[in-house]
Amino acid sequence: MSPKVIQFRLGIGACIVAAFLTFIGIPNWVSSPSNVQNIVLAPTFWPYVLTAMTGLAGLGLILVAGHASQDDEGEDEEDASGNPWLRLAALAAIMIATMFALPRIGMVWTTMVVFALTAFLFRTRHPVTALICAVTIPLALYAFFAHVAGVAIPQGNYVRLP
Amino acid sequence: MKINKFGVAFTLSALLGATAAWAEYPERAVNMVIPYGAGGATDISARTIAEPLGDAVGKPLIMANVTGAGGATGSVAVQNAKGDGYTMLFARVGSHSVNPAMKATLPYTLDDFRFVTVYEINPVACAVTPASGINSMDDLIAKVNEGGVSYSSSGVGSLLHLAGAMVLKEFGVENPLEAATHIPQKGGGAAATAVLNGTATFLCTNSSALASFVANGQLKPLMVTTPEPVVGFDAPTANELGKERLNQLVGWTGIAGPDDLPDDVAAKWGEWMATATQDPKFNETMSARGSVIQLMDPEEANAFIIGQYNIFRALVDELGMRIEG
Amino acid sequence: MSLWDSLMAGLSLVATFEAFFALFAGICIGVVGGAIPGLSATMAVALTLPFTFSLQPITGILLLLGVYKGGIFGGSIPAILIKTPGTPASSATILDGHPMAERGEAGRALGMALWASCTADLVSNLSLILFAGWLASFALSFGPPEFFALILFSLTIIAGVSGESLLRGFLSALLGLLLATVGLDLVYGTNRFTFGDPNMMGGLNFIAVLIGLFAIPEIISMAWNPVAHLGKARALGQTKVTFADYRRSFRSIIRGSVIGVFLGSIPGIGAAPSAFLSYSEARRKSPNKENFGKGEIEGVAASEAGNNGVAGATLIPLLALGVPGDVITAIIIGAFMIHGLQPGPMMFILNVDIIYGLFIGLIVSSVFLFFVGSVAIKGFRFVADIPKRILMPAVLVLCIYGVFAVNNNIFDVGVMFVMGWVGYIMLRYRVPAAPFLIAFILGPLLEDNFRQSMLMSGSDPTILLRGPITWFFWTLTVVTIVAIVRSVVRKARSAV
Repeated sequence: MSPKVIQFRLGIGACIVAAFLTFIGIPNWVSSPSNVQNIVLAPTFWPYVLTAMTGLAGLGLILVAGHASQDDEGEDEEDASGNPWLRLAALAAIMIATMFALPRIGMVWTTMVVFALTAFLFRTRHPVTALICAVTIPLALYAFFAHVAGVAIPQGNYVRLP
Repeated sequence: MKINKFGVAFTLSALLGATAAWAEYPERAVNMVIPYGAGGATDISARTIAEPLGDAVGKPLIMANVTGAGGATGSVAVQNAKGDGYTMLFARVGSHSVNPAMKATLPYTLDDFRFVTVYEINPVACAVTPASGINSMDDLIAKVNEGGVSYSSSGVGSLLHLAGAMVLKEFGVENPLEAATHIPQKGGGAAATAVLNGTATFLCTNSSALASFVANGQLKPLMVTTPEPVVGFDAPTANELGKERLNQLVGWTGIAGPDDLPDDVAAKWGEWMATATQDPKFNETMSARGSVIQLMDPEEANAFIIGQYNIFRALVDELGMRIEG
Repeated sequence: MSLWDSLMAGLSLVATFEAFFALFAGICIGVVGGAIPGLSATMAVALTLPFTFSLQPITGILLLLGVYKGGIFGGSIPAILIKTPGTPASSATILDGHPMAERGEAGRALGMALWASCTADLVSNLSLILFAGWLASFALSFGPPEFFALILFSLTIIAGVSGESLLRGFLSALLGLLLATVGLDLVYGTNRFTFGDPNMMGGLNFIAVLIGLFAIPEIISMAWNPVAHLGKARALGQTKVTFADYRRSFRSIIRGSVIGVFLGSIPGIGAAPSAFLSYSEARRKSPNKENFGKGEIEGVAASEAGNNGVAGATLIPLLALGVPGDVITAIIIGAFMIHGLQPGPMMFILNVDIIYGLFIGLIVSSVFLFFVGSVAIKGFRFVADIPKRILMPAVLVLCIYGVFAVNNNIFDVGVMFVMGWVGYIMLRYRVPAAPFLIAFILGPLLEDNFRQSMLMSGSDPTILLRGPITWFFWTLTVVTIVAIVRSVVRKARSAV
């Protein structure tokens, strides 16, 4: 992406955010009591001020985009091998699954799987080491957090560690 | 390898599940949620009782601070937990009588919890700076009627917020919300600082939070809400001033579980607390902080909390302090 | 009692093996605790608290102070090595520390962090001893209007950490400010963007946002291109910091320490803003301005001086007024009270031996920190040698544990993941993350103090200019903004 494209897209994005907050976000999700004596004290005042400034920043970015250079600065991310979007989607899926699994099967087992999956997603050159670490690191962290730091690490419904 | 692990997992869980059926509660560590931050009154109280209580329980107690939203985040964590007695809450006056009385938007009600004990009562004291020239409650009320008086609190829906309004109301101020400005702060420490640096005129809070300021002569106590005087506080009691109704305005700490907590578990907690509160070191530490150790069994605790809630709720409705939306 | 007598009384109290051992042990615990993201200095202090109950008051308090000081330094270790700040205070250290590690200079960055930390710690402790009374009365003159002016000025730091485009930095800051409005409203207690979820009512957890914004995007980038790092000289770090480096950064270190002392003595600001302010001041004054953010050692020195300068100074309001400056000192106050000590002006009269005992202990702590820190650096440096595709999954797992541990809440792990994607998008669109973070910290303070001021005055805006302190900060703010605008205009002209 050239600086021009970046600035332009950011500007448009900021304007959309500002418009969304002004017309939908703040009216619906910021509740303001009816007995507010002064507008500057209302819970909605500050969000509206920030939204207005975001809109201005967006307009500023669009204006500046007109002067920005169009040269593509040759970014390394464009030449990522394989299908990078697929890997991003996989990582997102891992994160969503983690959130679902943490309270149910416990943090230790979940993070073991997360470690192994991400290591292979990154196509590690040390698969055996990765597997060993996938088992030992969550266990070591569990031992430390649960027994040294006294944190109630989620244990899940199935196998509980001592 | 993975299949193997899960195989083991299922066998193990089946075994554990089977043992759980006839094993005596508690068979493993109990999670104790503290809905306020480290170093606060609830936290110190909880961690002080944890030691003798852990001995009485016979299994480790894992203390977990889950803070946020004036105690609501931690309370909800316990409300949603299984009622197996392995997740319990240190309930506090703010989270379980002021908040339910003041906030319509609170994600829980008192019915979502089963209280197994209240073990500590904290007197409430009102204080001003010596520089303010206010020497008694009468002076304060006179100032309020002149206007320009404000009081600080640790946030909307905190004990301090309600206490400020309740005290003024009891002392005959018709509409405390109009007559005095409430300036909320973030946390109890900030609330005391606000009075120290002149941002607010007075505050009413637990005596333990004020003790060091009073001892150092930085703040001047005007009144304590208990029938008995509080050590170190050179101020009249509410009864001496003829305001017995303020006796209800006290802080407390108790232990609660989710509402589906079985009877035998609740009874066990009652026994454990009876043992734990006998501990001399616990008594000494808590008394040094100005708390009164007063153990209530599950029924008394429930009655006490509901009683306080009703008084607060009536006041909130009368003054229109309830937070909707 | 004369100063000499007080010193002797203090010395007789701390000149025991237990006291020094407690201090030393505390620093060790702190460095390790601070180096574990999510565990942070705060948690380390909270966890140590129960152990102090059975100790002598002075021994127990020295133990906690050791943990505190060790923790603030310890946080810089993961900030430099894995771009994950161990404590919020070390987030400024990432800006230059991590690029240095990427260049294979992790050892040098860590060494500078340690030297700057110890120097700032010493300056901070000396200020505590010499100026406690004066700084405490200064701190008490900070009401909401003064805070508002100070924080408004602090927000101008954003210009210093915006990188190539001021406008993108500004946008980043606005997003941070908007995100900080999530939670219960301060004055009315109503919901703002909570969607009825009790977990959102407390606002988004700061450490979850912080780790999400800095550490997770690295992991996502790795998924985008797992081989991007190959061929870069990461492996490491035998480089050491030199005395020449130290001398070159000395001015920034002292400036950072002084900033830390001032901000630390005012309750309620904390170490992170101080580190950022020190960093942006160092950048403004440095001849190597262009190099900041790309691995400039002076940037590491300034950030670490800024956050460690706070450590001794937060004890000023604690000891002189009995007021906690931040969460950590709130816990330490708890320890005082459990031992029947009541911090405040009277303590300087009633318990003068303890006060001076603490002073002596604090001075010694800077020395201990230096030795413990040197050993810790040697121990942790190997992290830079771990193959990155093993390290990143480990960082992810560590972050999950750490963020959970902060508030025992799985929801925070979700916040971290979501912020990770936000951070990644910002990375792709070259929106700097630092302004977002600063705004997220300062935003609530700015809003709260503004509204408290309005409550105090009955919505009369003139209260915002009520005294010399406010005038001073307003002037500084205006001067800084004018300077920023002028430099932007000049840059635009030279570009045309």
